[in-house]
Amino acid sequence: MKKPLFPRSRWRSWLIFLALVGPGIITSNVDNDAGGITTYSLAGANFGYSLIWSLIPITFVLVLIQEMCARMGVVTGKGLSDLIREKFGVKVTFYLLFAVLLTNLGNIFGEFAGIASSLEIFGISRYVSVPLGALFVWLLVVKGTYKSVEKVFLVACLFYVTYIISGFMAKPQWSVVLSELSSPKIDFSIAPLGMLVGVIGTTIAPWMQFYLQAAVAEKNIKVRDYKYSKADVIVGSFVVNIVAFFIIVVCAATLYKNGIKIETAKDAALSLAPLAGKYCSALFAFGLLNASLFAASILPLSTAYTVCEGMGWENGVNKKFSEAPQFYGLYTLLIVLGAGIILLPKVPLISVMYISQIINGIVLPAILVFMLIIINDKKIMKNYTNDKLLNIVSWMACIILSGLSIFLVYSTVRSIF
Amino acid sequence: MNEKESKVFIFFSELLRRKLSDSQGKIIGKLVDLKVGLGELFPKVVCLCIKIKNNRQTFTLDWERVDKIEEEKLVLKPESASLLLPLEVGEKEILLREEMLDKQVVDTYGVRIERVNDLHLLIAGSELRLVHVDFGIRGILRRLGWVKSVDALTEWFFSYKIPQKLLSWKYIQPLSRHAGNQALKLNLTHRKLDEIHPSDLADLLEDLDKHERLAVFKSLGLEAAAETLEEVEPKLQRDLIETDTTERASDILEEMAPDEAADLLSELPPEKTEAMIQGMETTKRKELEGLLAHPEGTAGSIMTLDYIALKENETAEEALRRFKRSDYHSESSSYIYITDDQGKLKGVVTLRSLLICPSSTLLSTIMNRRVIKVKLEDKVEEVAEKFKKYNLLMVPVVDGEKKIKGVITFHDVVDSIFPDFEG
Repeated sequence: MKKPLFPRSRWRSWLIFLALVGPGIITSNVDNDAGGITTYSLAGANFGYSLIWSLIPITFVLVLIQEMCARMGVVTGKGLSDLIREKFGVKVTFYLLFAVLLTNLGNIFGEFAGIASSLEIFGISRYVSVPLGALFVWLLVVKGTYKSVEKVFLVACLFYVTYIISGFMAKPQWSVVLSELSSPKIDFSIAPLGMLVGVIGTTIAPWMQFYLQAAVAEKNIKVRDYKYSKADVIVGSFVVNIVAFFIIVVCAATLYKNGIKIETAKDAALSLAPLAGKYCSALFAFGLLNASLFAASILPLSTAYTVCEGMGWENGVNKKFSEAPQFYGLYTLLIVLGAGIILLPKVPLISVMYISQIINGIVLPAILVFMLIIINDKKIMKNYTNDKLLNIVSWMACIILSGLSIFLVYSTVRSIF
Repeated sequence: MNEKESKVFIFFSELLRRKLSDSQGKIIGKLVDLKVGLGELFPKVVCLCIKIKNNRQTFTLDWERVDKIEEEKLVLKPESASLLLPLEVGEKEILLREEMLDKQVVDTYGVRIERVNDLHLLIAGSELRLVHVDFGIRGILRRLGWVKSVDALTEWFFSYKIPQKLLSWKYIQPLSRHAGNQALKLNLTHRKLDEIHPSDLADLLEDLDKHERLAVFKSLGLEAAAETLEEVEPKLQRDLIETDTTERASDILEEMAPDEAADLLSELPPEKTEAMIQGMETTKRKELEGLLAHPEGTAGSIMTLDYIALKENETAEEALRRFKRSDYHSESSSYIYITDDQGKLKGVVTLRSLLICPSSTLLSTIMNRRVIKVKLEDKVEEVAEKFKKYNLLMVPVVDGEKKIKGVITFHDVVDSIFPDFEG
């Protein structure tokens, strides 16, 4: 036993990073889903570069929140809904998960709507694209293994490059972009403030916390390897905002400059064609399809996991239907509802999205507060609780986000009535 | 509680947060938890845990001080307020709310991990005992306060009531751990977990989080631990054995089949492997070191030493005696290998031919001289090819001088070709 059988090469740490990478980057990219792309397009088209500075603080807060989730996942090996159930009991968990279920359902509508409208740009009817999309999603998860699915997801992440390419194709004035990026200013009138809240709300969504932590816990990462997980989360948070940056730039450089008002991401893609060329438009549409499919694959699954874990029902795609009926039932229901409603004629999609945004706005502060309580619990987190500085910063972020969420709820409710 | 001497069941969630009053009806505090002493089939509640207004500390009071359980409150015997003590939890005690309610437990009867929705208690005379654990939807509804309305609804529509899903406490193994050594607080004095089939236990372990997993593993007997370790996936194997103490790890490795143990050890950092091997008894250690000397992916690395080899000039009687003394798996003992004085492989005898020949028969006369064999350095894929081509159950492994060094069974080949195979 003199010779070591597997000598540790200098690549070891790089290999560990590659093995552990995934949850953070995938979560962040799913975050740029149909809803996200729509919001960023609107921000760029309707407000130019004026909101682009907000991506810097958003990146910071995203790293802050996601780092805590990843840390909880690594230290406890449990998902967030699991921890909330154990700490706060079944009553709180039940109502919280019910709200999460509703807001996620709203997001799933959005993803299928994204699949429908992106393919309509290429002339494919939604009555073909949506059922096929739903089938693809369902098969991917039910028939695929965790490893293969994760690889598909990582490849999907690469397709976000399309937005970066279209960003350059739009030929923005980079000097203006950079100066706007470095000069934060808040316009306190309702419309731009609402847009700002929308951008923040779509980037920092409740479901991400659950998905990220569950995925990290699933990887069974050792505490000593936590630094790699942290790197994964930080890289992911930057990637999400870089993509957002380019989407805003594309729309600002073309649509805003020419005074074209849009309401959806589809409008954005279509209006891009005459201004920046049909390839730019096609890339934009393809990006939307990729993002929608990607998020549609993850959201229903993540929702079913989150709910079943919290309620104590068997879950996991490696279980049979009879072993985990609630899990498969919920998963299938979410896809069928999400895809089905898009196909109904005259769906008031806009109001469905509004309601989902309101619930989103209520759920997010609640989850942040629960997270901060749990991560400061010595019994749960041992020596890995937040330090004082981190606590001050994160409580401040939590209060600001809650304030913005309440504002969003208020303004959405007012716009409906 | 002598007014009725009745046996009544009550749910823990119904007791929790009830007010505690003295005999005059003055409120002392509220019930926040119950402490139970483990070890009995249906363990007794020993203490009430009480929160007093404007005091952050939790106090305890012996259950015997409870006089009456009323609808809204618990009435204590006189002078109870002076008997309050600060909360302490002993080695064989468990807190129902803190460590059981909403937590995961092992159901050793249905062999699965369940989450506790409620606990079912029996009021027997002046005692309160823990009898069932509630895993059902009904338990969730009860705690949400919806039982009556949902019952009314389902009875109206379907003449159906959501049933109780209770399991006797004797089948439950909580996952709460001792503060010090992180071992499980065992429910009963004997180990219920050891009775679960190793493959099922391996599945259970995979469903748990990493701390619970380790605690369960640590609570298993050596034999059960070794068998379970053989069943879990390689990554988990490493995590479990690496985090256990070196001493126990050595003991577990001794219990494992040598080839499985060697596979596992070859995946660990060299210094750990060394330490674990040093802790093993000499014969087992020699065996393992021999196996570990072969590079990954070769016949030598997956072979076992569980075989019987005899000399040409020995008799069938001798062979049968050796066979009876061996305790190898059945597939490892279907052949007996015959060597010359230098240990070179000369032939093979089947168990069947041994049983039907006269006991004085020389082995050299009944052996089959055409033995299919593999070399130490042969690739595992080549070995598998041979198994397929010749329909083998087991094949001997020889070195460059044709000396027998070990055997590979069908099972070993399947395991090494499909390491991630689940099911």
